[in-house]
Amino acid sequence: MEEVGFLGLGIMGKAMSMNLVRHGFKVTVWNRTLSRCDELVEHGASVAESPAAVVKKCKYTIAMLSDPFAARSVVFDKDGILGEICSGKGYIDMSTVDTDTSSKISEAITSKGGYFLEAPVSGSKKPAEDGQLVILAAGEKALYEEAVPAFNVMGKKSFFLGQVGNGAKMKLVVNMIMGSMMTAFSEGLVLADRGGLNPQTLLDVLDLGAIANPMFKLKGPTMIQNSYSPAFPLKHQQKDMRLALALGDENAVSMPVAAAANEAFKKARSMGLGDLDFSAVYEIVKVPEKSS
Amino acid sequence: MAMTFVKANQLSTAILTSPPKTTVSTAMAMCSSFSPRITKQFRGRPISSFPVKPLFSGSFKAFSSQATTKADDIPARVGFLGLGIMGSPMAQNLIKAGCDVTVWNRTKSKCDPLVSLGAKYKSFPEEVAASCDVTFAMLADPESAVEVACGKHGAASGMSPGKGYVDISTVDADTSKLISGHIKATGALFLEAPVSGSKKPAEDGQLIFLAAGDRYLYEIVAPFLDIMGKSRFYLGDVGNGAAMKLVVNMIMGSMMASFSEGLLLSEKVGLDPSVLVEVVSQGAISAPMFSTKGPSMVQSQYPTAFPLKHQQKDLRLALGLAESVSQHTPIAAAANELYKVAKSRGLSDQDFSAVIEALKAKLQHQTK
Repeated sequence: MEEVGFLGLGIMGKAMSMNLVRHGFKVTVWNRTLSRCDELVEHGASVAESPAAVVKKCKYTIAMLSDPFAARSVVFDKDGILGEICSGKGYIDMSTVDTDTSSKISEAITSKGGYFLEAPVSGSKKPAEDGQLVILAAGEKALYEEAVPAFNVMGKKSFFLGQVGNGAKMKLVVNMIMGSMMTAFSEGLVLADRGGLNPQTLLDVLDLGAIANPMFKLKGPTMIQNSYSPAFPLKHQQKDMRLALALGDENAVSMPVAAAANEAFKKARSMGLGDLDFSAVYEIVKVPEKSS
Repeated sequence: MAMTFVKANQLSTAILTSPPKTTVSTAMAMCSSFSPRITKQFRGRPISSFPVKPLFSGSFKAFSSQATTKADDIPARVGFLGLGIMGSPMAQNLIKAGCDVTVWNRTKSKCDPLVSLGAKYKSFPEEVAASCDVTFAMLADPESAVEVACGKHGAASGMSPGKGYVDISTVDADTSKLISGHIKATGALFLEAPVSGSKKPAEDGQLIFLAAGDRYLYEIVAPFLDIMGKSRFYLGDVGNGAAMKLVVNMIMGSMMASFSEGLLLSEKVGLDPSVLVEVVSQGAISAPMFSTKGPSMVQSQYPTAFPLKHQQKDLRLALGLAESVSQHTPIAAAANELYKVAKSRGLSDQDFSAVIEALKAKLQHQTK
């Protein structure tokens, strides 16, 4: 069996690579903080000392970094993958980045003769652990076909969306809706509470109707407890809102609700809530108006 | 505070602890109105002729099974005011379950299908209320709800001790309290019970009732609610049901507006909006509303299940509620503006998913 590379063992990467290892894939991992590789190694993965070293060994390499800066870094920095990318090798970037970053990485890979696929995911920590991610791939179709067995282990459904950039865009649109929904949900919880209703009853009512969804069901109870253990950090959600709004700006698309939601996330960041779960935006919505 | 799924076998307790505003004789009269044996014998007799013994002991069986929805266990005559998108299928479900139903609608022709199914008809809300034990009202907005309840020949004029009025319209808390005051002034009982769910859930008997007001009346009408709906909540004082409904619809209106932004953005940046609908349906934000409406929105079609004008009304009322408790709601406010634009483009009677049109640029002379 061929060797698969995996760069980035954060909240998502660790769970995803663990699923690959458990399903019999031969995986070589790398992480900036080496100690996070230990558990993977215990389960049978190999470690390499740099992104370049991983790519040297592997037919294709998956990357799962936290933001555009980190995504570019493993490609373009010293000991980055570009040193070892050549014809026949594939690079699959599953980080969530802006379209500019994705296209720059794609150009760099293909100019060296390699294949590139962007494949950001929809889903956070638990879906990653459970192999239930939704994968939004775009780029080289042949590399997508090659990666499908790995995608089927890490996720419940994969989409091939066409040219590079389409995966990134789809991810941003989905997360824009999610951010607006979380803020709207927060407004509802606060209004229920201020209006003399039991917020738990609101959750029960919502769960029965047309707007029931897994996010409300999962986050509602912890929000009511003011508990925001991060499955998806608020700073990343705000990054995604910002990038989605930028897409809207570039294409002259009206997005007043997303703009209002972005303001709430910005405020949350400015109040130091960036590392909490994105549901912590509830704390901002709760802040009472000052009476004049 | 909030209470859910109060079982019918707690009914006897509810009777013994009937609210202080209702005198014992009124409570007894209420019992007798809903007692299967007594009603048939004593219908039309003056209240004073009813014996004072506990009437409910023998007829308790009628309400002891929450699952029972057969007509012979529910003796009351039911009135139904308002046969629109929601009222018509709701009344039909009551008739099909064998209930004795009397209808009224502002436009008489809407009553015809119900009458052909066996409903009786009266020319005024007053007459319906007078001839029935419990009268439901399902009107489009606060103005209609007040008019039907409190206007000339309105339901309140036909109300009396021993009767109940259940307003299932979606209104603001103040309107509900106003109607409640008029109804209770006659000695009758009042319950607000707005629903969550639109046309299809109404047809399928799958509505969610958000009731508040006279607890005793809630217990009595529970079998009817169970025919028309899949679940019900008792939320306390009048105003709480209205508030809960507005909160739910505020979230819904914001969600639909956000979804619209997503669909439009996806299309403008070269994605297939149908694929966005599919991607959303696979993930954490998958909601029945998105899966149901997404495909038709992508086709620019908005078959009316919940009229846009009513969604905007609900947002406006929710914003009013927020203001009354000093809460700022920027997302709901932004969404409300979009529904207002959609209304100004002539989309009031389309489904509320037509709000996506408000995001599309249109020059003045292009408005419908």
